[in-house]
Order: sequence, then C-alpha cells, then structure tokens
Amino acid sequence: MTTTAPPPTSTPAPRTAADTWQRKTARIVADYAMPLLVLFVLVLASVTTDGFADGANLRAILISTAITGIAAVGMTAITLTGNLFSLGIGSTVVLCGIVFLAVAGATGSVLVGVLVAVGASLLLGLAQALIVGAGLNPVITTLAFGAIVYGCVAVGTGGEVVTAGSVPVTRLATASVLGLPLPVIIFIAMTALVSFLTARTVTGRRMRLLGENRATAGTSGISAMKGTVVAFASLSVGAALAGILSAAQLRQMQANDLPNLTLDVIAAVLVGGAAINGGEASAVRTALGALLIVILGNVMLLQGLAPGERLFGVGAVVVVLVVLLHLLRKAGAR
Amino acid sequence: MNRLADVSRTYGLQGAILALVIVAVLVVAPDFVGQPAAFSVLERLVPLGIITAGIAVTMIVGELDLSIASVAALSGATAILLSNSGLGLVPVLLVATAAGAAVGALQGWAVARLGISSLVLTVGTLILFRGATSLVTGGVPITPDDYGVSDQLLMRYGVLSPTSITALLVLVVLGVFLSRTRPGMALYAVGGGRNEAVAAGVPLRPTLVIAFAISGGCGALAGALSSLRSASATPDGFTNMLLLGVAAALVGGISLAGGRGGMVNVLLGVVITSTLAAGLSSVGFKAFVAELFTGVLLLAVIGADAAVRWISRRRYLAEQRRQLSGLSAIDLTAAEPEVSRR
Repeated sequence: MTTTAPPPTSTPAPRTAADTWQRKTARIVADYAMPLLVLFVLVLASVTTDGFADGANLRAILISTAITGIAAVGMTAITLTGNLFSLGIGSTVVLCGIVFLAVAGATGSVLVGVLVAVGASLLLGLAQALIVGAGLNPVITTLAFGAIVYGCVAVGTGGEVVTAGSVPVTRLATASVLGLPLPVIIFIAMTALVSFLTARTVTGRRMRLLGENRATAGTSGISAMKGTVVAFASLSVGAALAGILSAAQLRQMQANDLPNLTLDVIAAVLVGGAAINGGEASAVRTALGALLIVILGNVMLLQGLAPGERLFGVGAVVVVLVVLLHLLRKAGAR
Repeated sequence: MNRLADVSRTYGLQGAILALVIVAVLVVAPDFVGQPAAFSVLERLVPLGIITAGIAVTMIVGELDLSIASVAALSGATAILLSNSGLGLVPVLLVATAAGAAVGALQGWAVARLGISSLVLTVGTLILFRGATSLVTGGVPITPDDYGVSDQLLMRYGVLSPTSITALLVLVVLGVFLSRTRPGMALYAVGGGRNEAVAAGVPLRPTLVIAFAISGGCGALAGALSSLRSASATPDGFTNMLLLGVAAALVGGISLAGGRGGMVNVLLGVVITSTLAAGLSSVGFKAFVAELFTGVLLLAVIGADAAVRWISRRRYLAEQRRQLSGLSAIDLTAAEPEVSRR
C-alpha cells in the first residue's frame, strides 16, 4: 500500500565523477545524520539552556526515553521486514503492564509477573504474525488486534486501576546498575540486541531482503512467514518490556493509560530514518530518534514553553526531519 | 438481472454483515428499534461518517491521511473561536472547511512533489496539528460564548438533524464526484495502478492534491460541526476518530491497496459500526465493548475478503488447468509451432 511511485524518470543521466561524489555524500549524510544531529542538539542545548547539562536532567531524559525507546526499537524489526508498523502497540503495552501487575500481585513474585507478561505478549505477537505472514495487511491486522486487546483489557479490568498490592514492583524502575537506572540499561541492551539481530545475523539479512523486495526474497527461497514471525517476536518483547517498566514506574495501570504511545513510537521509528516500505531501518538510529524527540521536548520545557507549544515544536521537527531524510535517501539512491 | 448480480457481488458481504449486526444488536438490545434507534445511528454520521469519507478518498487513491483526526480537532477549536468573534454558523463552517481543504491540498502537494509516503508525512502533521490545536485552545477545553449556534444544530426533523443531513449531502456529493467526473475517476486510476495511470496520461500531482484536499476538508467540516453541536472543543478531542474511521472504511469494503470502493461502501461501513456502537451503548455497555466488537468485525471482514480472493484464485487456476488438459490431447512439444501460429 501507499507506495508513492517514483516520478517517471527520463533516461538515466551518464554517471560523472561529480554525480557519484554527490551520491556518496548524500548516503554518508543519511547514515550519520542521526548521531550528528543528536550530538549537535545536545551541545546546542547545553550551551543555550540553563539546567540542561545537569546530571539529574540528563538522567531524567534517559528515563523518559527508555519506555518509548524500547517499544520503538522492537517495532524497527517490523518496519525493516516491510510490514510498515503496528497500530496496536499501545494497547499491547498496556495489556502487558496490567498482566504484569496483576500476576505479580497475585503470586507475590516479580519474576513470575515478568515472565507471564512477556509470554502473553509473544503469543499475541505470534497470532498477528501468522495472519500477516499469510499475506493480510499488517496495518489492518494490528489495528484490529489493538482494538480487541484494548476492549478485552477494559472489560477484564472493568475500567478500574490495577495495582500489584504490596509487591515491590517499583524496584524494577528504580534499581540502579552501573550508575544508570535499570530501564535505561534495558533500553540500551534491547537496542544492541535488535541491532545485532538485524545487522549481523543471517535471519536479519533475510528480513532486510524481505522488506527490500518481497518477490525477490520469495524466489530466493526466503520464507516471508519466518521473517514476519521474528519481527513480531521483536515487537512483542519490546512491547512487553515497555509495559512492565511503565507499570513498575507508575505502580498502577488502567486500560486508558498511554494514549499517545503508539504515535510516539511510530514517530521515533520514522525520525530514526527507517524506510516506511521496508528494507532500511536501524535499531540504533530508532533509539536516537526517540532520544532526540525527548531532548527537544525537554529543552522546550526548560525554556518555559507551554505544553501546546512543545507539542507543536516536536511536530514541526518530526515533519521537517522525515522530509529531509526522505530527500537525502532519494538523492543517495539515484 | 446483471445489475442485480453486480450489486450483490459488490455490496453482498457488507449487506450480510449489516443484517447480522442488526440481528445481533436486536438480540442484545430488543428496545433498539424504530425512530430513536435510527436517529442515534444517523447522529453518529457526524463526525464519524464525514471523517470516514475523507479517509476513504485517500485510501482509494492509494494513500492514507493519518492527520485527519488532528485536522478535525484543530478545526473544531477554530470554529468555536470564529463563532465567538461573531461569525454566523454557515460562514464558520465554510471558512473551517475551506481552511481544512487548503491544509490538505498542501499535504497532497507535498506527497506528490517530494514523492514521500503519505503515511510518513501525515504521522508528522498529525502531531503538528495536535500541537496547533493545543496552541489555539491554550491547552484547555473552550466553549462558545453564544450557545445559540449549537441550538441551531440540535434541531430534529424525524430521524434527521442538520448535522446528519449535512453528512448525507457530503456523501452524495463525493459519491457523484468520484463516479461521474473525470477528476473523480482519476482517483481510481491512480489508486488502482499508479504507474499505468501516469503512463496513460492521468495527471498525478493534481489528483493527489484533490484527494488530500477532500480529506482535509472532510476532517475540518466534521470537527467544526461536531464541536459546534456539543458546544465545546478540547485540545485532545477526536483522537480515536482516526482508528474508528479507518476501521469503518475497511469494514465497508474500501481497500487499503487503493482503487476500490466508493461512498456506498463508506455509508455501509459507518452504519455497520455505528449500529453496533449505538445498540450496545443503548443497553449500557461502555464504549470499549463496542470497540472490542469492531476489532473482531474488522478481522472477520479482512479474513472473509482474503478467503474470497483465495477461492477465486483457486477457481481461476482450476479453469486454466482444465483448458490446458483439453489441449494436452495434442502433444504439446510437437504442437508448439501450431499454437504460436494461432
């Protein structure tokens, strides 16, 4: 769907040295734009904004990036395999948070809660992967699953707030490893894992080819079903971890929580420069995309802007960035 | 005779679903009959029906406007501010719709000119317009100074109201535009096979601009009507309308792949999902129960659609095989020159 056709090109111009040089530059810029941009914004913000470079503030930025970031990194695999994105991730995250709290509260064990939540998310992901792998549209399938999951969670909890009682779930959110809060460590680990999976393994290469050109992948004997299942497994793990950590932070959760999460996650993936039609996506860049959005919001907050102005600013940056990344990629591919 | 077969083939699945939904709702809510039921279903045409029409037009052209619900929220807030500045109801609606259409046209132009995926661009503008709504409202719910404006919209003629009449008019006008005019048919050509349409001389850029202008205008009109009717606009209003609209369009039989479906499908989809929601809420079920069943319905519809396509492909292959086995009486390798001569 929505494959915007390239404008009908005339006969390809003869390749000159300058032409190749430009293409190379465009490709390098597209590859390193994200880290450079984050670095640039960091330096600029530290210089211009009082209190930004403060240790506590940087820590707060990392913590608030972690949850969206974990889910977004998980979703990167979906986009990479050409399955666009999941419109149901928000409700899956809430489901996992609630399942985690309920199970941990009932059994008294945080570990059992984590395992059951991840298991539930994986099962849900597998069901969607089987449907999408059979050739049904991923956007519709995840939209429908999202509505069903939201409805089930709301009916199951009766719209009430779920807590874990006296079980110390907050430890997951506040525990400190190597001086960093656990959610941030998990965010970094998840990014490294998905990055390794997509860039360094045979499965990852096959997923990339599936996204790049499904027909070619099919004729080379690559199973669309297998790639889709792996991608949805990555999404499910990301959603489960995000839900568990969010629930641990808030100590409570209800069906209507995190209403903007799905769009924040999609925005992070897109700002990270993933090609919407697949074949090109990087977990590291997605993580940086999530970080960039949070940093911008934080800077605007420190500058004393109202919530509406901050949202408008972030929206403007997202629009400009995705258009620029698109133009750069087009210049690099020509 | 043929026309009847055509209609039943085109709208058969949706008609059957509608009948099923009505029966199911009547079982759960036996009192959901007659004028009040019809009125409460039709009242949901604003905002859902108009928004679904806008989404459907972008789906037909093979794109998707994700920003439509944010445009509705922005337009709703703007409409209330405009009516506070002393403008009458009709001028407010016209200004809001025109502004929405202009914003949409700009998006369509960007999609066509830059060759960027509309999903990518409109995710960004979705956040942007949501922020703009927050700016316009100052982050708090706003209300009109003069409630007379909303009274005009709360009149009732039988099962109809000024808002549902407007929605039906929009659907009729768009239906005629899509099926009877050259630019309307160009939307189907571009959605069905973009490269082929461009090669055949269908202008791509104006067609995309028109599609997104329609969706922007629909979003703005729906938002303005709905906010004026309820006499309030909030910075986070209409957030669920995007998903409900996409679901209604898909249940109605519009294809995400583009080039398929029309305003009759939009009406069917909206009536199916609205009957479900209105019926369930009439017996006290919360909105999330209706959402749960809408999700199930959506899965069932795409499942049925996939099954129908699979069966028709099997039939087609079987037909091909039968024709080939008829030929196999002749030795195919020896007959090759003969076949090619024919």
